[in-house]
Amino acid sequence: MATDYTHIILADDDEDDRMFFTDAFDELKMTVKVTTYNDGVYLMDYLNQEDAILPNILFLDLNMPRKSGMECLKEIKENSRFKDVVIAIYSTSASEEDIENTFIKGANIYIKKPSDFKVLKKVLSNVVTTNWQYHTNGLNKDNFLLRL
Amino acid sequence: MKLFIKFDFNTVCNTVLKEQLDALDLKYEILNFGEVAFLEKVPDHKHDEFTKALEPYGIEIVEDHKSILVQKMKDTIIDMVYNSDTEVHVKSSVYLSEKLGHSYGYLSNLFSEVTYTSVENFIILQKIEYTKRLIINENKSLTEIAFQLNYSSVAHLSTQFKNTTGITPSAFQRIIAKRREENN
Amino acid sequence: MIIKRIYKSSWFVKVVFVVSLFAIIFIAGLGYKHITNLSKSTEMVIHTYKVNVELEQILSYLKDSETGQRGYIITQDSLYLKPFIEGRKKVNNSFAELKYLTSDNPEQQKNLKELSSLIDKRLDNLEIASNYAANDQTDLTRFKDVFQEGKNYMGAIRNKLNYMISIENDLLKKRKEEYVSDARFTPVFLYSLILLTLVLMYAAYAKINSNLEKLKKSNQQLEIFKESTNQSEIINKHGSWRWNVEEDSFYFSDNLFRLLGEEPGSFAQTIENFMKFVHPEDVEKLSSQVDEMKENKDLPFIVYRVIHKSGDTRYLKAYGKSTVNSEGITQLLGTTTDITDEIDHYNTLEKRNQELELNNKELQAFNYVASHDLQEPLRKIQTFLSRLEDREQDNFSESGKKYVERINNAASRMRLLIDDLLQYSRTNKSDEILKNSDINKLLEDAQQDLAEVIVAKNATITTVKIPEMKVIPFQIQQLFGNLIGNSLKYSAKDRNPIIAISYDKVEASDDQQLSKALYDEYHRITISDNGIGFEQEYAEKIFTLFNRLHNKDEYSGTGIGLSICKKIVDNHSGFIFAKGEPNIGAVFSIYLPLV
Repeated sequence: MATDYTHIILADDDEDDRMFFTDAFDELKMTVKVTTYNDGVYLMDYLNQEDAILPNILFLDLNMPRKSGMECLKEIKENSRFKDVVIAIYSTSASEEDIENTFIKGANIYIKKPSDFKVLKKVLSNVVTTNWQYHTNGLNKDNFLLRL
Repeated sequence: MKLFIKFDFNTVCNTVLKEQLDALDLKYEILNFGEVAFLEKVPDHKHDEFTKALEPYGIEIVEDHKSILVQKMKDTIIDMVYNSDTEVHVKSSVYLSEKLGHSYGYLSNLFSEVTYTSVENFIILQKIEYTKRLIINENKSLTEIAFQLNYSSVAHLSTQFKNTTGITPSAFQRIIAKRREENN
Repeated sequence: MIIKRIYKSSWFVKVVFVVSLFAIIFIAGLGYKHITNLSKSTEMVIHTYKVNVELEQILSYLKDSETGQRGYIITQDSLYLKPFIEGRKKVNNSFAELKYLTSDNPEQQKNLKELSSLIDKRLDNLEIASNYAANDQTDLTRFKDVFQEGKNYMGAIRNKLNYMISIENDLLKKRKEEYVSDARFTPVFLYSLILLTLVLMYAAYAKINSNLEKLKKSNQQLEIFKESTNQSEIINKHGSWRWNVEEDSFYFSDNLFRLLGEEPGSFAQTIENFMKFVHPEDVEKLSSQVDEMKENKDLPFIVYRVIHKSGDTRYLKAYGKSTVNSEGITQLLGTTTDITDEIDHYNTLEKRNQELELNNKELQAFNYVASHDLQEPLRKIQTFLSRLEDREQDNFSESGKKYVERINNAASRMRLLIDDLLQYSRTNKSDEILKNSDINKLLEDAQQDLAEVIVAKNATITTVKIPEMKVIPFQIQQLFGNLIGNSLKYSAKDRNPIIAISYDKVEASDDQQLSKALYDEYHRITISDNGIGFEQEYAEKIFTLFNRLHNKDEYSGTGIGLSICKKIVDNHSGFIFAKGEPNIGAVFSIYLPLV
């Protein structure tokens, strides 16, 4: 089964949002491996470990204390070790400028946190499948932009 | 004397696969439970070499009929999208079943079963991928692309692009251009 | 015209003086010559008389000699021989005198020679006759012949003398005539020359006079100008100064003293005295500037403070520029202005600006609160609600289900309001830059954003070519998006939407809607549709915030979309007008200044 071993990490300081996120994957019955970090600093500490298992998709909340999603994005893009990680911005705000800016800085996916759990499930499932399509069908990952 | 050896079957197999695949200079990814995903098309001769190389280890490639057929479908679709100008008037469903000698219903079910996505979605994905490439590399206008890919209108292509990627073609173009600017 | 010009030119006076000078020299020369001629003529007259007198004297000496001889002959007394002997001596003397007098006249010299031989012959004759008489041979025929011959010689001498006298008289007469004609012509010529000189002198005088008059007038004007400059210096709070760098001497205008809080001329005009008024903190800065000025002779604007004796601190701004005056002396001309009021004004303005900026920042902070912090709890409420509906549906009573649905509706509406309000407040001008943009592209992008609705509603949109404009691209795209979206939303149910976008250029003066326009020319983009339209009386109201013409059950919306359009157009110093007709359609006209 293709999606069984998709490894997913979420960095978000909001407990409720982390819960919605993991619950959604649980309900989707996709046996993906989801790990969450409470902010950008924890996330980068983990990723910078030499033996860290890199995620297939990394979900970043933009507005986090200590280290924002944007700062994480910048650090990740500067390190070629992470070049295969697909980055999904997972944020409350949806100003056009914010969105374009994160894409320009190298994000692949921009998700405005939905206000409906069913929509959240759909969105996450969409992300994982699209990522899988890119992965298995030899599509150009440089052109991988998805806004949900 | 006797030695007691403890080994992990998975690690051994993966190591062997890795060695042989590297030797053939192929782009791949080893998934657990005996699956290897290739990131690009594997030429027939390399496929044969790989089969032979694995024989001494008692490793055999399980080539089931279904996945071969799905791969053929994918190849056909990609060929159809990228050479759209030669196959203008034939519907994709008709084209597929004629080319592969199976009913479209059968092919469609099989495709969804193996790839977790529908044939239609796959076609759209490929078309949008091609559109992206044309926008970026050949600097073509959306009108030209819509015509080339047999869309009934620019709006139709725009809608499909936006539905698939969440952004408009022009935003896509702008983002990629700015990204390149930043990287330089 | 030419004469007038010559008269007006400044070298006219000089030329007149030179000409007059020459005329006077000429007159003097002529007068001198005339007087010289006059004395010459007198000399000539005297000369002639002298010659005549000598000639007459010769005759008389000869007669004396003759008389003496005759007496001797008659009396035989030798006493009578004395005048005869003396006569010969005297005749010789007169001859010498005559020879000298007539040395310039060859004809008279010749005559004199002939006369001399005649006289010699006569005297010889007299001697012969005397000899005859001495020997008493007077009755001899020969004596009679000699005597006769003597008489003849005497006649010839008399004739010659008369001839010579007549020559001299003729000469005299001729010279007299010459002199008279000379004397008659010279005064006329001199008189006219003097008259001409007088005329010229008068012209020069008139010219000098008129120049003087003009000078007086311009002096008066200068006086007035100086006075008005003084006034203006007082009113505008500025003073002027001159600095002769070479001599290091200063001149301060009256008001410059006043700028320092002093009476005009109350202290010696030196840089040291001036510096005494300068604020201690600014002395160094100003001094170095002054030193620099000495070298560069050009003072850039400099602002410094001075302290009046009253304790007031005033801000002065000075500017200097080096010039060379007509005498070739380099001096610095400068003005100094009291800008205390301006600085006070500026400070007040700056303070207000800061307050405004602070307010703006607070507003932006509020926006952020609205965008993020308010959205988040709302989103969670909605998400939890959706989970409730999903999982606990069966545990709710009928009314419970209804309440959840109501909560859901209210939350959705709140979300819509927050989103739209945010968009409205984000449409700010402050940090956006106007740049040349392809309007057609922005229009196309706006259509791409709406592609789904366009396809769903089967709408037809026609556009024309629109020239480049200087705009905030993102906002103009939003403007198009909102207006086209509006047309799609309020489309008539019984027909496919047709939206026509057109463009033209208009003169502000030709369009009465543009009576308040600040620019002369405008781009006009009109978007017209065949939708449900509206009553014209609402044409202005629809642009006000939260204003809706329809019940929110009929058409969703917050009444913010068109307010955003208005704000965007305002940001571009443009106008937007709406025209509607119920069930026919609506026309929105956007006017953007042509710059």
